[in-house]
Amino acid sequence: MTLALREMRRRPGRFAIATVILTLIALLLMFLGGLLDGLVASSTGAFRSQQADLLVYSSSSRNSLERSRITPEVRQQVASVAGVAHVGGLGSAQLGGRIPGRGTRDLVPTVLFGYELAPRGLPATPPAPGTAYADDSLRAKGVAVGTVIHLGPARSAVTVVGFVSDTRYTGQGTLWGSLPTWREVLNANRPDARVGPGVVQALVVQAGPGSGAGLAGRVDRATGGATSALTITQAIDALPGVAQQRSVFNQIIGVTVVIAVVVVALFFALLTVERTALYGVLKAIGSSSRTLFAGVVLQAVVVALVASLIGIAASLALDALIPAGTIPFVATPARLASSAVILVVAAVVGCAFSLRRVLRIDPAAAIGGTP
Amino acid sequence: MFLALHEMGRARVRFGLLIGAVGLLVFLILTQQAIQGGLITGFVGAIRQQSAPVLVYSVDGQRTLQGSVIAPGLESAVRAVPGVAEAGRIGQGTFTVRVDGGAESDAALIGYEHPGLGDPSRLSAGRRPQAPTEAVGSAADFTVGSRVRIVPGGSTGAAGPVFTVVGLVEDAQIQVTPTLFVPWAGYEAAVRAANPDATTILPSVIGVRPTAGLSDAELARRINAASADADALTRSQAASDTPGVAQVQQSFQLIFLLYGLVVPLVTGLFFLIITFQKAAALTLLRAIGARSGTLVRSLLVQVVLVVGGGIVIGIALFTPLTFLKLGAITIRFDPTAVLVWSALLLVLGLASAMVAARRVLAIDPLEATTGGGGL
Repeated sequence: MTLALREMRRRPGRFAIATVILTLIALLLMFLGGLLDGLVASSTGAFRSQQADLLVYSSSSRNSLERSRITPEVRQQVASVAGVAHVGGLGSAQLGGRIPGRGTRDLVPTVLFGYELAPRGLPATPPAPGTAYADDSLRAKGVAVGTVIHLGPARSAVTVVGFVSDTRYTGQGTLWGSLPTWREVLNANRPDARVGPGVVQALVVQAGPGSGAGLAGRVDRATGGATSALTITQAIDALPGVAQQRSVFNQIIGVTVVIAVVVVALFFALLTVERTALYGVLKAIGSSSRTLFAGVVLQAVVVALVASLIGIAASLALDALIPAGTIPFVATPARLASSAVILVVAAVVGCAFSLRRVLRIDPAAAIGGTP
Repeated sequence: MFLALHEMGRARVRFGLLIGAVGLLVFLILTQQAIQGGLITGFVGAIRQQSAPVLVYSVDGQRTLQGSVIAPGLESAVRAVPGVAEAGRIGQGTFTVRVDGGAESDAALIGYEHPGLGDPSRLSAGRRPQAPTEAVGSAADFTVGSRVRIVPGGSTGAAGPVFTVVGLVEDAQIQVTPTLFVPWAGYEAAVRAANPDATTILPSVIGVRPTAGLSDAELARRINAASADADALTRSQAASDTPGVAQVQQSFQLIFLLYGLVVPLVTGLFFLIITFQKAAALTLLRAIGARSGTLVRSLLVQVVLVVGGGIVIGIALFTPLTFLKLGAITIRFDPTAVLVWSALLLVLGLASAMVAARRVLAIDPLEATTGGGGL
């Protein structure tokens, strides 16, 4: 072990290129993962923040909030299902926001939500008509408490009364107001999408204690199939592109890990070939195959750790340098740590390909001068 | 040449691993290049394929068809701009549909008021609609003769309108969704069926054609100068400026850069180590008369074979993917992209071997007689 580390200290150049390659692979893993996290986080915050068991859409909406319409009659049917403790309406309107201090053509894309059951971080009682809480991503756009945002072509005025964290939706900053505020703004700006009195886009359902299991099926049966009730996780996966993004990115990350394994295998196989004679001598003076292979593994782990640390630093720098609103990249501790662990495991697996070669080294042949 | 091939034959595992690694990298690069192309075509293909040379959004629409609504006052202002030869309403919405009586699915409808302003520029099959209930569909998703029923919203019990696909157009999706181009009357009927509470059906954008001699860009400039609420863009601008397109391109460019760096580094590292390992043999070869040029050529032949082999494997892995659809994204085999990447990776691979080549050139044959031979 000491020998392995000493070799790395004395001849760092030998490991430099492998470290550079693994650093690039680490950065790729972290960048791909961070891109996925950023895309998903900016699309799903509004749903992740819901303190509820179910989201209920109209069955003909294909679980699209924008297309879904729940009438007061259907809402009544849902509320009367055994096990349903609380039901609240939810509506959304995607509109450009005019923020004071920005140019007349420099609008900020926003999504105004109307709610009754408060998502995490919002007060239980929705704010007064004409006011809303803003997602804190809108601070970067110049929004502050008291800012009056004019929404849509009708310039509907909404005053910001506070902020809430991590509630973005479809990559846009959100505003959270009451259902009457939402209905008024939607009907004023989108006549093709207007909703009638009491109509909402979806229902947020909180189950009573111990009533969550099977509740979605009971809700859909109670409405005669007029609804499509989803758990919050299902509703997040049903958001356009979320499941596909996860699948594609995870496949790319998987192949990149395989490449890391192959690169490490290649590098340490070559190093082992180069050191065959040396290993033969070490075996002849009493070193076991286990000790020698442990040295190889240690070197692989050190190379992977150094690469991971550089990759983490580069990812954090990227996170800080990428301007808001461009590449949706976030460097979360969980993603960085998991990428580092994956890389270290890949390095150990990769260098394991050298095990057979180390075991086959014959000390007698080494002493005899036959490498 | 003989030496290069003989060495590769004797060290099959080592060279095989390298070729495999390069092959996987090429596969990833080509796949992601195709995903990028498919994503962008899926996002904005319909905008590229529609016939209006200038599209006027409302500023509030943020350059998205689904977010833009043209109020009557803005529409009048656009039509009155000097240089507008023809203007027509274009609407866009996403609907729940049943195709040929199958399961419910999503479809985007693009409604156009005037042929030549919002309908597809050219068809790949069939003909153009002659009735409000006829449609041109995106070729990847529909066939001529498909019947597409709009699933009505609300609880009115009314049946939704049915569109018959009479023509097809390639690469014409919007929002990565199967897309139908329908006459305005058909679009209005679809919106009212999906949302019975809808009152007025306003256009999403106005398609505009300039008078003879006036450029599309100049007309867009005039319209933007005429109204602060108008956001007029040429067709190509409308496609490239759609939110998300630039971010997709930037993200993929960074990914390509990283993969593009890994390939030459892996190849360069491999051949550098190999050169170190066979230093003594190379010195001996030099001592018995082999010219350094011959040894370098041998090295470069190996690089070409390794990178070339990797490229062949990468293309072989990638090609079957192009017969599949990734969700609604069509993965295309783009010969230009494949050729460009192959050439670029080959050049980078050869460039990366230059360090090893310099080592070979630096070999002193005298070392063989002194017991040296290290590099």
